[in-house]
Parts: sequence; structure tokens; C-alpha cells
Amino acid sequence: MSTLEAHPVSAGEKPLAAPRRLRWPRLTLAEAFSFLFLLLLIAGAIFADRIPGLVRPNFPYGDFSRPPEWSINGLFGTDGLGRSIFSRILHGARATLTIVGIATLISLGFGLLLGMLAGYYRGIIERFVDLFANTVAALPPILVILALLTATGPSVTTMTLALGFLEIGTYARIAKGGVISQYDRDYILAARALGASDARILLREILPNLMPTLAALVPPLMAGLIITEGSLSFLGYGIAPPAPSWGGMIADSTDLLSRFPLLIFGPILTIVCTVFALNTVGDYLSRRIDRREKQL
Amino acid sequence: MSSDAPSVTSAGDLGYLRDDAALKVRNLTVSFRRGQKIFNAVSDVSFDLARGETLGLVGESGSGKTTIGRAILQLVPAHGADLGGAITYEDDDLATLSRAQMRLMRRRMQMIFQDPVSSFNPRRKVVDIVGEGLEIQGMPRDERRRRVDQALADVGLSRAMVEGRRPYQFSGGQCQRLAIARALALGPDMIVCDEPVASLDVSVQAHVINLLQDIRAARNLALIFISHDLAVVRNVSDRVAVLYMGRMVEIGRADDIYRAPAHPYTRRLLDAIPVPDPARRIPAGEGGAEPHSQLAPPSGCRFRLRCPRADALCAEVEPQLRPMAQGQYAACHHPLPELGQGNSSRPAALSTPA
Repeated sequence: MSTLEAHPVSAGEKPLAAPRRLRWPRLTLAEAFSFLFLLLLIAGAIFADRIPGLVRPNFPYGDFSRPPEWSINGLFGTDGLGRSIFSRILHGARATLTIVGIATLISLGFGLLLGMLAGYYRGIIERFVDLFANTVAALPPILVILALLTATGPSVTTMTLALGFLEIGTYARIAKGGVISQYDRDYILAARALGASDARILLREILPNLMPTLAALVPPLMAGLIITEGSLSFLGYGIAPPAPSWGGMIADSTDLLSRFPLLIFGPILTIVCTVFALNTVGDYLSRRIDRREKQL
Repeated sequence: MSSDAPSVTSAGDLGYLRDDAALKVRNLTVSFRRGQKIFNAVSDVSFDLARGETLGLVGESGSGKTTIGRAILQLVPAHGADLGGAITYEDDDLATLSRAQMRLMRRRMQMIFQDPVSSFNPRRKVVDIVGEGLEIQGMPRDERRRRVDQALADVGLSRAMVEGRRPYQFSGGQCQRLAIARALALGPDMIVCDEPVASLDVSVQAHVINLLQDIRAARNLALIFISHDLAVVRNVSDRVAVLYMGRMVEIGRADDIYRAPAHPYTRRLLDAIPVPDPARRIPAGEGGAEPHSQLAPPSGCRFRLRCPRADALCAEVEPQLRPMAQGQYAACHHPLPELGQGNSSRPAALSTPA
């Protein structure tokens, strides 16, 4: 680590040592596979319609309940109506990732806003945000969304908004803690001494320092949302059949499960791999934070 | 802040205050609330600073020197703190300025912090940090660039050396020079330096101090130099103010105070300056080395529990600043040296102006 040598300071100016870069930690095998899997999943979800040879998700292209075989449509076999499970998984991924992505954007946006205001101004705003976060954290998300969807009728939009709403408190708490830990740092005082407004301090000084923490926390929280969304679809309250969804595919195959156990292999494997990959990526990003703090 | 804040011209009862000073701090009181407890960080401190003058603020940890520096720049957090007294700069009462007026005022008064590394946002580029004040102040881009280059040159750096780099790529001494550049870029005429060299290596300290001195002379800057290191303060200051537990106990010309301190606490601080002489022993003070709890300060003089000269009077009456024979002002009933003319006057006689 010769680049870590102290820079000499002298009255006569020597050229400064070469910049020391903050390196990203090396990927382990599991992390490399996780990144690769997520990239492939996202690409598959986006381009599901254009993959050559892949049938439409609702097209009964073959015999029902066939085991997996080595072809693009039969990779995970066919379901009880003869539809390609692989095609349905990719199209289901599109729905799931859209719902989870939008829900995360909602909770991240509002959570950051509330949490940063609470941490910066404290007082009554902080008490309100704490009360809100603690109350929402006490609610069982699946039951709340079930009740909501029962009352208003199944709707993907309602489910997405509700999923996003229920995570606002989580992000607000993270953001609040991050702001409070930075509030007394000298660079905040320095910015104020230069005449920076509160908005500028929050956006330019504090927010960038919250980003590494958030980057490490978003993937595992998204994994939680995927499980919740899958459960709701399994129960028939999420994405309505015949539109493909991971949870719905598992639900469809339960009747035939005793005779054709391989039916749930594809969707289960996809959910497990996605959740595992998201958590692994989260671990990698938090490892990066630890490393940065050691280097700084 | 309060309506009965003394007008600046009525400072005649404190002979060391001047009406023509640039910065006037009058009866500054800062207290922090922690639940039910009230912590008086600064109690009734008055001083002023002329253009181009350097005032040293010395005292141990918790004496309120940093709080005074931050209060001058209106940086004490709004929640949990109470400010009293008045701070005026060039006849503008800072507490009454609007946000926009205060932002303009910040061009004229700047600050340098103790820890150069933590006073830089680790995620931002150094060039942007140095130019940030100008950006906030709405300076056009070319003018900004020119001023940043000038400020960097003043501290012995150049744009080529810092371009594209982040704070962690610089050493402590370089960071402190960059912090000076950040303050200088706005073209201030006063800078509060809060322990600017305390976290640096001794060899680097001298360099940064010399740099500050050169810049001060070149730009005719007024400095408030906050430090616990009396040797450093002596080198840079025209006048020195000694603080103890939020009170000013002595103020005067640096030469007077270092030659013949009047307050026993100042004496003790001076005795604590390391001298390269192995035979010399630092006289052990009575009453322990730790200051009394500031949440419940002792009655009368706050230093009396550690003071070898304390008597019953010190427990009853809090001493006020008054002129000493040597020329400075000190708040002590029994000032040093014993044989001065000043120490025979009773506290009752203090109300008469010197």
C-alpha cells in the first residue's frame, strides 16, 4: 500500500503525491453471481417480449405440466394450462420489479424528505416523524394491504402505493439518524459560515453522505418487498390472473403439486435467487462503507 | 437580543472597550439547555476587535472560547441554546440582520475550524469546497475562478495541485491551508480561527501560523485566535483575553499579560507552558487540576476553589473586570502581584470608571 504514505508538507512546494483512489472492495464469487443474476433478471424483464423464440406468457404452447427440458420455452417446464413457465417468470419479473421499484422510489423519496427534516430541525417535526415511523412499523404489512385491497378491490396501483407508504418510516429513520450524526460536523458549520441556506446544507452537504448507507440498505429492503408482493399475489390480491406473477404461479400450481412437484420449481427458484442476490448486493455495499471509513 | 441590551456607546464603565472597534461583543451570554439543566457556556463576556487587530482567546476546555467564536458568526444552533447580549460588526447588530443581510455579512467575517479534515465534506471536491462560499454568494463563474486561484496562491497551493481531488487526499496541514483558502476566497476582513493548529504536528503548526501571519499582514485582517496554547497565542496576538468557565478573567495587551499576569488563573496557565529545562518543575496548583462542574458553578469567583489566594470575599462577591497596575484588566479580588496599587481598591469602588 505504498499509495497510503503521508503527504509531505513543507514550505517549499513539492508536487503532491498521486491521488489515492478509494477502491471498491473485490467481489466474492457469490457477489459476482448476484450482480450478474440481477442484471440478467432486469434485462430479461425489460426485453421479455423481444427474446427470439420465447412464446407469449398466456399462449398454451405445449402439453400441460411438462417437466423442464432444454429449450427456451421449456426451461422450467409448462404449467397446468400448458403455458411456458420461463416466459411467465420473465413477464412476472417485469410486473414484480416495476411494483417493487416504484414502491421503493415512493418510500425513499418521502422517507428521505421526512427523515432529513426531522433530523435537521428536530423538535415537533422529529416527534411527528418518530410517531409515524413507529406506528407504521407496528403494522403487519400483509394484513394491512389485504384489508385495504379487500375494501377497495384488487388493484396493482393500490398495492404499489401501499407497499411504498408502509416503508416510508423505515427510510425516514435511517435518514434522520444520518442527518443527526452529521449535524455537528465542522463541514456543516463551515457551510453555514459561508452563508449556505438550510436547503443547500441538506442537499449539498448532508444528502451525499447519506447515499452510501442508503445504497447498502435499499437492496435488502427491496428483497422484503418482493416477498410481500409475492405473498399478496399468491393470495390472489396482487397481480390478477391470467397476468403472470411469481406468487400467482405458485398459487396456480398448488392444486397439482402432489402429482407435478416440479411446477413450483421455477417461480420458487426465481424468488429465492432474487432475494438472495439483493441481500448479497446489500452486504457488498455495506462492506464498501466500512472500507471507506477505514480509508478516510 | 433583549430590548435592554446596552448600547455600544455606554461601554465607558469597561475601560478596555473602544467605540471605534470593528467588532463589538457586549455582555455576550450563551447557555445551553439539556432537559432541565442549564449550562452556561459563556457568561456576560464583552470585548472588541479593531480593524487589523489580533485578539487571542485562551482558556482550558469548556472555558467557552469556541462558543464565543461561533456566537460571533451566528453559528450557535438555534435549538437548545439561548443567546444574550449584542454582537455588532461595523455598527450592524448581527442578531437583527435578515437572512440575506447576514449572508452578505458572511463575506466579511469568516471562520477556520480546529479539525481541518472534518471541516471538509468528504464527498466533495476540494476545488468546489474552496469556491463554495463564492458560489453561495452568487459570484459569477469567471470571477469565482479568479478568486479561488488567488486564495489558493495565498496559501501556497495552486489549482493544478488540488484539481479533481477530495479532502482525504490531503494531509492535515494541507487541509488547514485549504480551509484558510476557503475563508480567504470570500475576501473577509475578519476571521475567527478556532484552534487552527491544535490538531497539526508541531512542525506544521509553525508553517500554518506563519502563513496566517503573512496573510493577516498582507490583507490587514482582523483575527480572533482561539487557542489553549499560550505560547502560540503570544506569537500572534496583539491583545489576549483569558477565559475561565465562561467568564473573562483577564484581558489586555499580550506583552503586559505575559510579563505580569494579574489573575492567578492566568499565572497558572503561563506556568503550564512547557519550558525545555528538565530541572524546572511546574508548581502543582491547589484545589486540583480539574475545573469545578459548570452546571453548578461555585459562588463568588468561579476560580476560587483552585485559587491559592482565595478568601472569604471571593466566596461572596463575584469579582468584576477592573484595571490593573500593569495595564491590563482582570477580574480578581486579590490580583498579582501583591505590591500593585490596583489591588487595594475594594470591589465597591469598582463602579467608578478608571
